[in-house]
Amino acid sequence: MKHVLPIKQYLMLLVLLSINACTTVTIDQVKVTESELRLGESVVVIGRRTGSDYETEPELISCVGRNLAKGEQGINVIPESEFVDRLYPWFEARTAPNHIKDLHRLLRYDKVKQIFDEYNVHYIIWIDGNTEKTRSSGSISCSISAVGISCFGFGTWDSQAQYEASIWDYQTKLQIGKISSIAEGTSYVPAIVIPIPLIATVQTDACKAMALQLQTFFKRPNT
Amino acid sequence: MKIYDATIKKLVSHSLILICSMLFGCTTKVIVNGYFPAPVVNPLPLKVAVVYHPDFSNYSYIEKDEERQEKEIYMGKAQVELFSTVLEGMFEQVVYFDAVTPTNDNSIDMFFYPMIDEFQYNMPVETKINMFEVWIKYHLKVFDAQGNVIADWIQTAYGKTPTAMFKTREKALNEAMIVALRDVGAGIILRFNHIPEIKHWLKQRAQVSAFKKTNQKNQFVAAVPQTN
Repeated sequence: MKHVLPIKQYLMLLVLLSINACTTVTIDQVKVTESELRLGESVVVIGRRTGSDYETEPELISCVGRNLAKGEQGINVIPESEFVDRLYPWFEARTAPNHIKDLHRLLRYDKVKQIFDEYNVHYIIWIDGNTEKTRSSGSISCSISAVGISCFGFGTWDSQAQYEASIWDYQTKLQIGKISSIAEGTSYVPAIVIPIPLIATVQTDACKAMALQLQTFFKRPNT
Repeated sequence: MKIYDATIKKLVSHSLILICSMLFGCTTKVIVNGYFPAPVVNPLPLKVAVVYHPDFSNYSYIEKDEERQEKEIYMGKAQVELFSTVLEGMFEQVVYFDAVTPTNDNSIDMFFYPMIDEFQYNMPVETKINMFEVWIKYHLKVFDAQGNVIADWIQTAYGKTPTAMFKTREKALNEAMIVALRDVGAGIILRFNHIPEIKHWLKQRAQVSAFKKTNQKNQFVAAVPQTN
């Protein structure tokens, strides 16, 4: 006897799991001067870690970096951890330059300047913000029996991802613009025997939108 | 029927594994492990002897509060690694001694003796913010070659890391510890020259060596016979 039903159920489960809840993303941009990224030049994306009750997630920073490097318009991005390690202790949470004039001061050290030149850095992108759960309601209860685990209930929560990127020009030592990305969404988890999560991927959507905007922010000579 | 029995057995064994991991997963041990990069600084022209007391190199925090989940945090090895990397970057020559042993020759310029005073951690469930936090208070002492205290100061360190899906408590706490250790390293590098007693000692030392150089030069000039 063939067991056709479980395969169908698994497929349905797979389809349900691949469905995401909706997210709304708002992007704002302020550009002070023209920004051009020449061949061989790189950008570095770093997270601000000075907030007392939140921290810009390293996953968000690497997501922005990955998405910036993607596609035909891909930008040469230096990984955050590599850059911060090479320049230890100058880009730690407490020592990182907060203003462009602090970067000026830091570049008086020949060794630091040498590393910047080695990487051929043109722009430094500082990202500040976080993702948080703003509201949650409902409940799901699960029970374990001889047959297995079964759940019943309904849970929902709202999430908001709010990030702001400040772009510094290393060559002119000026802040040349700001991009903010706010993503909001509601996640649902209905549970009838098994919980089916319909998650609003606010952080990923905020990251992708910011990376896309950053790609258009920098003019390339061949475009 | 056979298929049914096998499914039941599988589910029961999976449930038991889940319950066991939930029960035994509560008491945990963290062995701090991470990477500490060499600092980008101009090394001071000093030969420094670093002394790690066994209480420092084998330091572990044992939680006495029954309600707290992280019971043992071993950080001795990690802090020795951090201090060694940082100090080897800060000074031209670094050697390791078992104790502060005064010398009358010029083989050592300074002894560096770190001790840990206090350690604290916070879990997200305790603070209601999605953050693992760590505070460390170090008591640092530097002695001259004769064993006299030059300076004695407190250096604090703070590290935090946000919660994330599929990140275990141990991994998150380890990350917060690494941030805190990097923070103390940064603090020592940036503060060392600015501690008044050390600043004064370095200034005096520079004056003495400048005087010695001039004196040697004068002796050399005096030794050359004058020609008429």
